[in-house]
Amino acid sequence: MTSDRNSIILRGRKVIGGIAEGEALVSKKPLMGWGNVNEKLGFTTERNHPLYEVPFKGKVLVFPEPRGSGGFMGYGRTRAFGTNPAAFIYRKGCNLTVFAAMIAKIPTVTDFDLDPLEVIETGDYVIVNGDEGIVEVIKKS
Amino acid sequence: MQLTDEEKRILDGEQGYLAQKCMQFLVAYGEAAGAERLVDIDGTADLHPGMKSSWIPDYHITIEEIEEAAKRGEKFKVPTFANKPIAPGFLVDGWENCGTWPNSDPEYHKKCMRNIQPYIQMGMIPTLSCDYYLVSSYSPTVGQHCSWGESSAIPWANAILGARTNIDGCFQTAYLGKVPAYDMHLSENRIATILVESENELKTDMEYDLFGWAVGEAVGLEVPAIVGIGKPTTSQLVKMNSSLNTGGEVRMYHVPGLTPEAPTLEAAFNNKKTNKRITITRNDLKRVYEMLNYAENDNVDFIFLGCPHYNIQEVQKAARLLEGKRCRTNLWVMTNPWTYKIAEMAGYKAIIERAGGNLLSGTCAGEMRGELPPTAVMATDAAKQNYYITGHAHPKKLQVWYGTTEDCIQAAITGKWRGEWRY
Repeated sequence: MTSDRNSIILRGRKVIGGIAEGEALVSKKPLMGWGNVNEKLGFTTERNHPLYEVPFKGKVLVFPEPRGSGGFMGYGRTRAFGTNPAAFIYRKGCNLTVFAAMIAKIPTVTDFDLDPLEVIETGDYVIVNGDEGIVEVIKKS
Repeated sequence: MQLTDEEKRILDGEQGYLAQKCMQFLVAYGEAAGAERLVDIDGTADLHPGMKSSWIPDYHITIEEIEEAAKRGEKFKVPTFANKPIAPGFLVDGWENCGTWPNSDPEYHKKCMRNIQPYIQMGMIPTLSCDYYLVSSYSPTVGQHCSWGESSAIPWANAILGARTNIDGCFQTAYLGKVPAYDMHLSENRIATILVESENELKTDMEYDLFGWAVGEAVGLEVPAIVGIGKPTTSQLVKMNSSLNTGGEVRMYHVPGLTPEAPTLEAAFNNKKTNKRITITRNDLKRVYEMLNYAENDNVDFIFLGCPHYNIQEVQKAARLLEGKRCRTNLWVMTNPWTYKIAEMAGYKAIIERAGGNLLSGTCAGEMRGELPPTAVMATDAAKQNYYITGHAHPKKLQVWYGTTEDCIQAAITGKWRGEWRY
């Protein structure tokens, strides 16, 4: 992976391998499922959520952690409707994020050396190497 | 991941196709989760029976495969209990008069009951509830490895019982009696990481519900050691657990002197010092209360009680509040199928029905998605149900009030929401 002076490298742990890239969509607030992610339209329907109805299709979805029910799986099931993100990046997870990543089958990395929520902002260009657990962040200028 | 020789043989198909398929799931899951090995379940498993008892479509076990296994006389390896059937939103009891479709259709009911029979033949106990742990009559004990699911159940297993589980109960873990050994299965991940102090002793059910949410929101995936809450009842613990795991993702916590892994505060932290501490104040509870009151119109048309499924004491309380009264709104009181039968025997069901309410079992408003009595403004006494229901209703803008059980039943009787912050 190449890196230029505008990019930041994050090293983490692979959850799901593969390589994907795209614009970051960052949620500072945890994400929750069970009817609060619209799988067909690919956005959160959680009331008061900063990303309410903001589509995540094709984005590198960055979030701190999951919260709530096992229905978090809905984030993975977006795959069946083609509305899934290009990759998942999260600070800390549990088996809910693991399952969602396995269902979505998209590059997924967590447990980073740097806090991805501190480094990545919505609109940054992010290259996710799930195989190596390496994420390159090209800051929007 | 390191597999034992026996596990490798299962993966190679020596114990048949179904065991191999289940092991393939456990290996893929364990590797993605960063687990180093599998552990034998010596406690219990919980799964959602019906159409989907697997988490991952690629490893889905079909109903035909389960039927064949049941015919061969195969059994789940460990005591296995049924969470709500995923049908979706299958009402086990009270469906005849629920007034919604498809649950009111006898054919639908028959089909759902038929779909869970192979699981029952394989040994699944049909508790059919999100709080199966309250009625299972058989619980894991301290240190036992389990494979459970469900928001309120996970802290019940980990914190209250001292058993060890992630949120992964499914056909595969129950069938093989094995689960990836990571996260909550390992002692080092169960030690408290943050001290949470309650400014005031908590007394009412609603305070515990709100407190759980405030803590969950503040600590996320951390393991809090909680002090200053008082002496919670069973109902209050269930409510707090449900909210801890909705407002946040608290799988495990300690209350020194109450939960088995923390005889003392020092033990909760395994004698390590921490500087991480927060205090939850009256204002924090009020802030959550206001966030949950997501409504303006005080003309309520639907009251939903029973998230998590009401226990017998809560059904009794609802019945007492409804005795001799008449509801103006639709009122659903949801419980688990076992409690339903006792409530029927005790006459609570008759009291609720005479007041115009419905006693039901096995599912909930959120799980039933669009299949609810017509409603624009509903009310509930559960933070979890309150918060999720507006997402379920999307794109419809559902208004939802939150308050005590008394507030809710009063609203059912009068048709007006009169709940307010009284602390």
